[in-house]
Amino acid sequence: MVGQLLRLNLKRDRNKLLIWIVTLVGLFTAIAAKFDGIYGTQTAIDTIVKTLKMPAMVSLFGAFTAKAPYTTAKIFATEMVVFMALIMIIMNIMLAVAGTRGEEDEGLLELVRAHAVGRQVPLVATTIELTGLNLVVGVLFGVGLQLAGMPGADTTGNWLIGAGLAAIGWMFGMLTLLLAQVADSASGATMLSYAVFGVMYVARMSTDVSQPKLTWWVPFGWIEKLNIYQANEWQPVFMMLLFGLVCLNLAMYFNQRRDLGAGLLVTRQGRAKASPVLMGPTTLLWRQSRGTLLAWVIGNALLGMSYASIFNTIGDLAKSNPTIKQLLGAAALAAANRVIVKNFIAVLAIVMVVVALIPAVQTMLKLVHDENKGYLHQVYATATSRWHVWASYTGFALVEALVVFLAGCLGMYAMGRSAMKDPINWITYQHVLLAYLPAMFVMVAAASLLVGWWPKGRYLAWAGVFYGFFSLYLGNLIDLPKWAKQLTPLGFVNKVPIKAIDWSTNWWLLGLTVLILVLASWGYRRRDLAQ
Amino acid sequence: MTTATPLLQLNHLQKRFGKFEALKDIDFAIYPGEVFGFIGPNGAGKSTTIRVLLGILKASGGSATIFGQDVWQHSVAIHRRIAYVPGDVYLWPNLSGGEIIDLFLKLNGERHSAKTDALIKEFGLDPRKKARTYSKGNRQKVALIAAFSTNADFYIFDEPTSGLDPLNEQTFQAHVLALKQAGKSVLLSSHILSEVEKMCDRIGIIREGQIVETGTLAEMRHLTRTTIDVQTVQPLSALTTLPGVHGLTAKHGDNHVSFAVDADQLTTVMQYLTRQQLVTLTSTPPTLEDLFMRYYAAPNDARTPDGK
Repeated sequence: MVGQLLRLNLKRDRNKLLIWIVTLVGLFTAIAAKFDGIYGTQTAIDTIVKTLKMPAMVSLFGAFTAKAPYTTAKIFATEMVVFMALIMIIMNIMLAVAGTRGEEDEGLLELVRAHAVGRQVPLVATTIELTGLNLVVGVLFGVGLQLAGMPGADTTGNWLIGAGLAAIGWMFGMLTLLLAQVADSASGATMLSYAVFGVMYVARMSTDVSQPKLTWWVPFGWIEKLNIYQANEWQPVFMMLLFGLVCLNLAMYFNQRRDLGAGLLVTRQGRAKASPVLMGPTTLLWRQSRGTLLAWVIGNALLGMSYASIFNTIGDLAKSNPTIKQLLGAAALAAANRVIVKNFIAVLAIVMVVVALIPAVQTMLKLVHDENKGYLHQVYATATSRWHVWASYTGFALVEALVVFLAGCLGMYAMGRSAMKDPINWITYQHVLLAYLPAMFVMVAAASLLVGWWPKGRYLAWAGVFYGFFSLYLGNLIDLPKWAKQLTPLGFVNKVPIKAIDWSTNWWLLGLTVLILVLASWGYRRRDLAQ
Repeated sequence: MTTATPLLQLNHLQKRFGKFEALKDIDFAIYPGEVFGFIGPNGAGKSTTIRVLLGILKASGGSATIFGQDVWQHSVAIHRRIAYVPGDVYLWPNLSGGEIIDLFLKLNGERHSAKTDALIKEFGLDPRKKARTYSKGNRQKVALIAAFSTNADFYIFDEPTSGLDPLNEQTFQAHVLALKQAGKSVLLSSHILSEVEKMCDRIGIIREGQIVETGTLAEMRHLTRTTIDVQTVQPLSALTTLPGVHGLTAKHGDNHVSFAVDADQLTTVMQYLTRQQLVTLTSTPPTLEDLFMRYYAAPNDARTPDGK
């Protein structure tokens, strides 16, 4: 039974799995192979070690635990593990939700369960699929590292990275399976999973910066405790497996007891009549997405706040070098400190931008999703034009990008004010906003263009967001060439607030946005809608 | 009725999806105050036709007009005066039924009225439940309530009762008849023959993307065969040679046969039978079932001999 269902699921997910495996393993191996070229010399290594020890970097990549003598492999382990873990977790959350709640929402699970299939069989099939996937990716990571042969790498460490990443992915997969039992729909399960993940990410960040020992209390932080290419500790891997196993057992316990289509959270009754506000496509979209939007706004604001809470630690040169104050004088020192914080803000801006792009692109693709699901079918039979619906979704997506990004900046600003002796002015954040918004709009517009002309290829929009994140988060560290960074509109943005806003870039990006949007609306109005 | 200008007019409508011709040649008209039954086997192109009418799909050839306006160019203006219920109703899972009904009304510039409340009661819908928890029938009720409380000129129903219980089906039929009395036009696509028989003035039969027949039920009955079971004193040896006789089978007893006869040959055949001196005779008029089965089953010509 499990075997048959598993085969069916694998057939259904074949492309998705293949894309994930190829992208992840390809990316990982390519970077590993290139690493010797970037950090091959001792000088290069020593410079990057200094950078990685800075609290700003620690907040992004985890505490720097490597000990001298530093090698290329140790740098690789520090830079890559947290980043890859992030992506492994996102992959597992997506697949775990789709395999459980997703199937249930579509009513497919009902069909399956009507046959002589046990209550637990679909859950077990998804569990096996996730386990297999993480295993394959983990093994390929190990093989990739073996082939890359970085200086300073050892076989145990190579396999430990693979095992650790596989284990953390699997652990979050199992956690998602559990949360899928709690929520009552796929979107609810996704939101809940990312919320838990977000809390863990922020928690590990703040403990890493202040008290690395406390990171042991955060399951996501275990990935930083492997001590790769040094002590090579396997204990965290076992902890992750154990945690995952507990989640799986709880998931199965709840799955055994609940009704199909219901969760532990009970579906509430709705209104008998629509509120006067609900009157057209825009308000309909608002009515559906306001909860998600609010979650993203709060999430990004909290992220901004937690980053800003360490501004003081980062921006205090005197702490690490007491003599510097005499050397520079108080005023010059304050200025130097501010430059460091601004540098950090420039890096954080990228994280905020990508976080803001996720709900925006989601809304844009929802236009196709709602069409495919048939929700828009009846709307189009009313006196509502295609242009109106398209403009509602596109406009909503653009505003979402703006609002979520703004929330992140406000969070940084508010926390920065209370955390710093010499806080950064709002104008700095305003510059960050103005510098990135046009590039973000181009990305949302591109998603709209896909929706209008090539709805089947709409997931390319995610590839765009992912690439933007990858090239800006890691681009400098892995020495990505300029042309490769400029494959995404985000790559054209100056390093604001360190540098001034480049208005000519802003204007042509805005012009490009308008042009793409005109094309997109034209395409959406002339094409057949889904059956 | 043919003197009035048609409310809906399809001329050689075609729709291709890549190489596949979903609609080859759709040609019919609906006149004001008429209930038009649109029937045909699954996959014949009923829903595709309706989607072209709604401007959701763009026709590849031919023309389609409602209220004299092109369905693609002027879809918004047309939609202001129509109400539509699809066969599969999909609703936003996190909105309640009541909210969705009101939204559909507002999108057509109407308001929740006393009529809406009456309809909700009549169909027995709990409007406070989230759409996610509705059954297929309940989702259809949401769309039906919104459609019936809209004051439109033209109503399009695409297999609207497939998930309803018999009681609600009756409610539906009563409301369609009320629309007809109020002089509204209705396009009803359906598989439920009793529904079509009870309500439709004219029928169009579609098969493989083509309209194979349009007309009133009486006209259509005329096109098919009556089944006759007869016993005579004298042998019926010449019966096979008569035109229009099909599927002759011998029954138990002397000179006892049954066969089907084309409507236009009935007189000749009856005259022959009388000459052979009747013992018993039962004639069964074609049922709707027979009529539709003929069109549904035969691949090319709807009236090919099929042994019945």
